[in-house]
Amino acid sequence: MAKPVVEKKYSFLDSIYLFEILKGMVLTMRHFMFNFFASFRPGPHTIPTTWQYPEDRREISPIFRGEHMLMLDEQGRELCVGCGMCAKICPAKCITVEMAKVKEGEESKYAGKTHCKNFNIDLLRCIFCGFCEETCPKSAIELGQGYELSRFTKEECQLGKERLLKNYHWAKKNNKLKPKKVEAEQPKDKKE
Amino acid sequence: MIDLIIALIKVVGIWSFTLGVAAVMTWVERRGAALIQDRPGPNRAGLFGILQPVCDGIKLFTKENIVPEKADKVLFNLGPIMFAIPAFSAFAVIPFGDRIIIGGKEILLQISNIDIGFLYIVALGSLAVYGVIIGGWGSNNKYSILGGLRSTAQLISYEVPWGLALLGVVLVYGTFNLREIALAQQGTFLGILPNWGVFHQPLGFILFMVAAYAEANRVPFDLPEAESEIVSGYHTEYGSMKLGVYLFGEYVNITTLSALTVTFYFGSWHLPYINMASFLGDGTIIYGIASFLIFCLKVSFFLWLFVWVRWTVPRFRYDQVMKLGWKSLIPLALFNLFITTLFIQIKYYIGG
Repeated sequence: MAKPVVEKKYSFLDSIYLFEILKGMVLTMRHFMFNFFASFRPGPHTIPTTWQYPEDRREISPIFRGEHMLMLDEQGRELCVGCGMCAKICPAKCITVEMAKVKEGEESKYAGKTHCKNFNIDLLRCIFCGFCEETCPKSAIELGQGYELSRFTKEECQLGKERLLKNYHWAKKNNKLKPKKVEAEQPKDKKE
Repeated sequence: MIDLIIALIKVVGIWSFTLGVAAVMTWVERRGAALIQDRPGPNRAGLFGILQPVCDGIKLFTKENIVPEKADKVLFNLGPIMFAIPAFSAFAVIPFGDRIIIGGKEILLQISNIDIGFLYIVALGSLAVYGVIIGGWGSNNKYSILGGLRSTAQLISYEVPWGLALLGVVLVYGTFNLREIALAQQGTFLGILPNWGVFHQPLGFILFMVAAYAEANRVPFDLPEAESEIVSGYHTEYGSMKLGVYLFGEYVNITTLSALTVTFYFGSWHLPYINMASFLGDGTIIYGIASFLIFCLKVSFFLWLFVWVRWTVPRFRYDQVMKLGWKSLIPLALFNLFITTLFIQIKYYIGG
């Protein structure tokens, strides 16, 4: 049922506008003064609702799904074994993995017996669903915190292995790795 | 010859002054709006974004000059000019300071001290509507012509209370000469108040301000360009510097109206309670500069008031604008005129 229209009764003061306008002007002036002095304060992000982007970045949730990275373990060995599970589950089919056996003498570089010779992610196709991360048996691929994904050419949107490892090193250096999933596994141990 | 040079300096000076103020106002408008709405606004170009008008100017100048195919070419090009000329030329009779005497030669800080300055201002105010209606008609666009028509109706309606409110001031000071009106506002009124027009004509001042906002096509009376209703009104089809002239003309209009408000109602270059002429010496250069600066200070307050009101008050509906103009402002303006004449007559019979 439609709401009945109620004619609003205006008092004399309302109907001459001026006092209402003055009240509104006091309100806008309060906002102006607050922000005016806030804009002089040193440091970024002084006006609370606006982030001045390049200098002043938003805090990103630790479980944010951004630019991908290939993980290394504590000894600096590649975790990926090149099984191709990520490529299989990927709904956008943006991952291509090429498996290869670890050559003799290179065991210190790779954690498993096999490794990925090539690992390519097509950023133009990726939908950042995080299935690859979820399905990976070795937790070797993760979606990191990087969100500045615009590139000048199509070729730059193909993330090769080098770039993915670079992302990992950047995240490690800036302390932006995801917290390890130890806490999530603890309840399982208790049950056992 | 020397008179001609002095006049030329004054013309160029005041012309570049109004242009500069208009440029800075575009920045103040955007920055003020942003701060009122809790955002920073343009703050990248130069210190606090003060160079933003320069960037805007470069952008507008370098853009392609597009004339719509079906537009009336002559009127389309004439529109911005017709809009800008009255806006600039109205400043010619406004005194922006007292006077400077150099070597026994009196230089008035006013481009031309004509006796019918008031009539000149009112005439140019009515002329401003041509720029809007010609631009709207020449564009050959439904929204443009709607904007132009709205502007015509609005400006004609508000011209009347505007002029009537100003007539009250003319009655109080008994002259059409703007410099004499400014000079008469020296001293105190009723012993305690500064002898400013606003204390002689409080109702007239309110009527004048309301009508001035409508004259300048500013919110809450920005019906000619109402973005949410008719795209951009009369300048929908305009681009590049032609649009720039329209936007600049609007700010020049605002500057002129603020200067008029100060001249008629806020004592022009006079400080309250202090007689600067006796303090700094009448006609000295310091006095001239000081009077100009005081005038600028007062004008800048009213310029800010235009921005402040714009971002406080929503737009009126068209019928509300007409109702306010014809049913409230004009009767009140006539009433104000009646009361003023009555008081003047009483004073005449008592004081002799």
